[in-house]
Amino acid sequence: MIPELPSPLRRADRVLLAATQWLTPRCERENWVRGWQAELWDREHRRKQDGTPGLLSGVIQDALWLRGDSVRQALAGTPFLCIALLVSLLLMATVPAVIAAGSLHGFLVIAAGSVVRVAIEASLVAFVSLAAGVTSLEQNLSGMQRLRLKARVFFFAKMVLVLLLAWMMSTDVTWPIRPFIPLTTLVLQSLLFVLLGLLGSRWSSLDSALRCQHCLCSLASPARVGRPSWNFLEFTGAELECKQGHGHLSIPEIETSWCQASEWVAAD
Amino acid sequence: MKPHRLSHSAALILKALSLGYCFGFDVMEATGLPSGTVYPALRRLERDELVVSRWESEADASAAQRPARRYYEITHSGKAAAQAATERYPLLARLLPEKHA
Repeated sequence: MIPELPSPLRRADRVLLAATQWLTPRCERENWVRGWQAELWDREHRRKQDGTPGLLSGVIQDALWLRGDSVRQALAGTPFLCIALLVSLLLMATVPAVIAAGSLHGFLVIAAGSVVRVAIEASLVAFVSLAAGVTSLEQNLSGMQRLRLKARVFFFAKMVLVLLLAWMMSTDVTWPIRPFIPLTTLVLQSLLFVLLGLLGSRWSSLDSALRCQHCLCSLASPARVGRPSWNFLEFTGAELECKQGHGHLSIPEIETSWCQASEWVAAD
Repeated sequence: MKPHRLSHSAALILKALSLGYCFGFDVMEATGLPSGTVYPALRRLERDELVVSRWESEADASAAQRPARRYYEITHSGKAAAQAATERYPLLARLLPEKHA
């Protein structure tokens, strides 16, 4: 409930507030309107002969900042943002290859000719990467059947995008030398693809391990559980929390017989 | 704690708040910065916990015959950041006069 003003604002100010308030997030709107009513009222009652600074830009930019911040908070760490970023990177990496091929059609022809080779190499990279996932963090993920369907789909999508990105980047890098030494380029591209693919897929599985198993958002607030915890709980390590409060991930500092791998503890 | 690296305008606003200018329009007048810079900067400073905001009580506002203002107050870490900014931008201290009540 916004208290009444001692005297009404100018019509132009009222119209400005009424039009701009829709830019702000609903939960902030009342406070925003109240705050700006006070600022505009102050401006009106301090108006000097030499002119008082205008607030139009402030009203709009403040509302836009609030909207931008609410979007940033809503998207930060979400699986949607992760996939969107990977897709954007993939599109950006595709542009140089399309330019080098002369046209999209030319690029698609070359890409279609490499599908089988890329599929074989990508499968090997994914297999090696998953088989090598031996850190205590990834042991948490090693039993994929333990993950919910949503988490499996997200993990699979991320892996596919990362491998496509690795292939596209290896193509971009080796494209300029392709006309001169085609066979060597093929070998170089395969090696680069394997290297980038391994790095990417390792990142992909570590990223999945550091996400909430319920909402798939990145875990936050890492806290090291030190000596006091060792004394009382026989556990030293770090804990990461889900921002939505779905649980926390305990990562042991030293593997012990009773705590060998990281453990996801769901909130009751 | 990680020290905050402030832009020149953010440092100027923080300095104004530390000198007793406590609401948006006041800060704008003191610093001479445009409204499109001051208000989003105040939001960022609040998000970074360098300042906190509170509403003026309705009783005080009614007594002064104006709507309640949103007052900004510099926090402990804000004071440290303002101090660091003054060292980084030595002219900052001379740009703004202290506010007289």
